[in-house]
Amino acid sequence: MVYTHKHPALFIMGLIFLAIGILAGSGALDGVIQSLHAQKYQGEMVWLGYILGIIGILVGIWHWWGSHEEGDLDYYLSTVAGAIFIMLVAMIIRWFAAPAVAVWSKSLGPVMGAKYLHQVLGLNYVVLGILAGILIVNTIGVPKWAQNGVRLSRLGLKTGVILLGTLYSLAELQQLGKLSVVLIGVFVLGSVGLVLLFGRMRGLPNNMTGVLSAGMGVCGVSATVAAAPVVKARAIDIAYTIGTILLWGVGCMFLFPIIGNMLDLGHVQFGAWAGTGILNSAQVAGAALAYQPDGIETLKVAEIFNITRVLFLPIIVLWLAIWFVKREESAESVNIGQVVIQKFPLFVLGFILMFALSSTGVFAPAQHYKGKYFDNNIPESKLLTPEEVALLKSEMGKVQREDRKAALARLIENRKIMSREDDAVIRGLNNAKVLSKEANKLLKKAHKAVRHTAKKIKKFRQWITLLFAFGLTGLGMQITLASIKQAGGQPLVVGGIVGTLKAVLSLIVIVIFVHETI
Amino acid sequence: MSEKEDKQDIDVQEVDGFRFHRGSALSIFESDRREDIVALILALLIALGIYLLV
Repeated sequence: MVYTHKHPALFIMGLIFLAIGILAGSGALDGVIQSLHAQKYQGEMVWLGYILGIIGILVGIWHWWGSHEEGDLDYYLSTVAGAIFIMLVAMIIRWFAAPAVAVWSKSLGPVMGAKYLHQVLGLNYVVLGILAGILIVNTIGVPKWAQNGVRLSRLGLKTGVILLGTLYSLAELQQLGKLSVVLIGVFVLGSVGLVLLFGRMRGLPNNMTGVLSAGMGVCGVSATVAAAPVVKARAIDIAYTIGTILLWGVGCMFLFPIIGNMLDLGHVQFGAWAGTGILNSAQVAGAALAYQPDGIETLKVAEIFNITRVLFLPIIVLWLAIWFVKREESAESVNIGQVVIQKFPLFVLGFILMFALSSTGVFAPAQHYKGKYFDNNIPESKLLTPEEVALLKSEMGKVQREDRKAALARLIENRKIMSREDDAVIRGLNNAKVLSKEANKLLKKAHKAVRHTAKKIKKFRQWITLLFAFGLTGLGMQITLASIKQAGGQPLVVGGIVGTLKAVLSLIVIVIFVHETI
Repeated sequence: MSEKEDKQDIDVQEVDGFRFHRGSALSIFESDRREDIVALILALLIALGIYLLV
């Protein structure tokens, strides 16, 4: 069977990428890029445009004019057309369509705390990429010359998940409170167990139940993607899970702050509840900011609870691997040790390996989280000037809260922020807008001086987002209307029941056990 | 049709009009483990590149 199609498509896509690279590099696209506020992608347009352009043109010449014989060369090189096709769709969305949606959404003004409509609905390049893929496959269809390459999307996702490990470090996770670990542990494992139970009761296929349990238990896209190969999930299972999580999160973002206000929850209580009950990170942040628009204490607690979930990902994956083999093979005498060796996905070990490497400080200072870290060993030029200190001093009287007063006093005395805790308090003070505009600018300056972003981790993030964009857009191209009909509405029902149970039970537990205040 | 082609067609699968004889509808690789290993190699190469160049 010969896979390569004699077709000019790959060559043309190569030319398009090369043109984007040249135009973005020469400044010819500056007007478009500025109007879309997409400056952060300009560098990527250039280097990725050149690389994909050259690959597309060279392999495209071979596709179009070469002679193809059955064999490995034909098999593997034929995938380039599909891979470049996915990248073209994914990058048009990442560079142009998603920023255009964001510009439009921002023109409508904030709808939820400080969040805009596209953030509330999760309309980023990932979701738009899946939607574009679904649209393509159900309208014009995936072209024959691209079909073999579309099967590379899962490889992209797995590679992205492995690299995801570099964003976390043990030092940061060690700082999490015991409460968050216990609470999250109970609810993560409980949600996974409940989805597995309800899925079975409602007759869902094992792959759908498995991937939905990881999505509803841990959180968001990464967990869904990480668990998918373990339970041999189909594209539709993954898309349904991501859809359920996002839909659930949108409802929660509106309901949680209302319920929180009705019950008069404290900042720590609400942060813990949002971080436990809502699944998508952006939506957790949205709900926390909606609850406390004038500070970041709630957001900080919610983030801590959200981060803690990642700890449970390897455990869940292992659990699902064993569960899936038992269910699929209906073997009562499953040897767990043998299952772990034979079926445990190596890419999850890759994730743990990267996490371990990241924790040693090889890519960034060991205490980093997602590449950001605190370090106040800064040069004289980054300290506040005596004039700036005088301005802050003159506004000290406006600050009422004791912790904010103390942190501001230390900032004034040392001309820089002295600790991570002070940094969080100063950010809260800035967010509360108690001081004048000029003074707030100085708080921001002081914060920026001590918060650093590791260049290597920044690069890892870029690779992860590119791999996820590639993988999920390709995944969308495998979701036909027939498969959606076949899946039915049951996953949404199971997800809804478990999500509601988790939200109600976690609220009860938090109201009873969490009394810490800020 | 040659004997080789004939033999290969026995394993040809068709999903939504797409025909293939290796891997599955979701992957070009013959097994999940092989796909994992390729993903691991790719990730390590990217990590090495970033470590050395950035």
